[in-house]
Amino acid sequence: MQENDKLAADVQFSVVENYAEYKLVPKKVLIVDDSPAQVKLIQGLLEPEGYWPVGLNDPKRVEEAIAAEKPNVILLDVVMPERNGFQVCRELKGNVKFNAIPVILVTSKDTASDRYWGQQQGADGYVTKPFTREELLRAVRRFI
Amino acid sequence: MRTTNALILTDDGEFARLLSACWQMERHLPGLSVVTSELWKGGEQVFPDLIVVGPLREGKLSQVLGSISSSTAVILCAPSDAKELGFLRNRYPRLLHVPLREDWAQVVLLVAGESLRRAEALRLVKQSEQRAAQNANHAVLGRYMMDMKHNVNNAMTSLLGNAELLLLEPGELSAQSLAQIKTIHTMALRINEVMQRFSSLATEMREAETPSQAETEEFTAPLFPRH
Repeated sequence: MQENDKLAADVQFSVVENYAEYKLVPKKVLIVDDSPAQVKLIQGLLEPEGYWPVGLNDPKRVEEAIAAEKPNVILLDVVMPERNGFQVCRELKGNVKFNAIPVILVTSKDTASDRYWGQQQGADGYVTKPFTREELLRAVRRFI
Repeated sequence: MRTTNALILTDDGEFARLLSACWQMERHLPGLSVVTSELWKGGEQVFPDLIVVGPLREGKLSQVLGSISSSTAVILCAPSDAKELGFLRNRYPRLLHVPLREDWAQVVLLVAGESLRRAEALRLVKQSEQRAAQNANHAVLGRYMMDMKHNVNNAMTSLLGNAELLLLEPGELSAQSLAQIKTIHTMALRINEVMQRFSSLATEMREAETPSQAETEEFTAPLFPRH
């Protein structure tokens, strides 16, 4: 019984320690947008809040970037050349390796049907451009 | 409501009176006019859907038929043995001939009714084609507006976001620069409000046109509540 208690204590201690580490590591946000200016802007808005933003301009390399960066949340533009955000979202949500990562669509497409379609693709959130800093942060804070 | 017009073109007053009287008894009465060959100036002045040509003065028939627009339906009421009938049939293949027999008025009304229905159907087709062309123009304009809106929204994101970034560190700016950036930020928000109103207008117009679409939007709106 004593051995079991010790183990339980160790486990408890280990969890607390990991939680502390967890709090120290900045939460990584992958920003996928074909416009470097938009990526830079979102990075600038997230960094002061303690997030670790990583930008990607090529939507065809999203899976590769996720595998390398292991982001906590993905901010995904919709209107992009060659592979749009709806496609990317649908494919991520259909892949067991990536489908646990929350995807927030960040787009200028602001009609109800666009939002509905985004939800149909499995998106976890939707932010319409132009957004205020507070709107963006609120959407990200829902997940991390 | 009268939507079709018919013209009785004859020099025989009795023919015009009898046909008009019979037509008055019909359920669907077109707008009726009567004119003699002397007063007839050709198709450029009046645009009836149908012309019923009755007995005319000697030598007037070819002249009258030659002046009628090819798109107008023509019923010629003439005796079966009229000498120029064969020639006229060859020259005007669309000409409908009703022999002047005992029951000519009933036959004319029957044929005229079909001709006017055809004219009305053709008018509706033309109107539909015009509306379709107009809708196509609106669709092009709508697509252009949507494209512009996307570009404006992206530009506004940069404007608003960068102004907010600068305002995050007010200590690094002079009081005048700070005030100017605040003005830029406020104006950017105002432009955003104006763009939102444009979007609302577009939605209202669409809702007015298609209630079922409005229902869908109402149903889908809460899925992603805007923060």
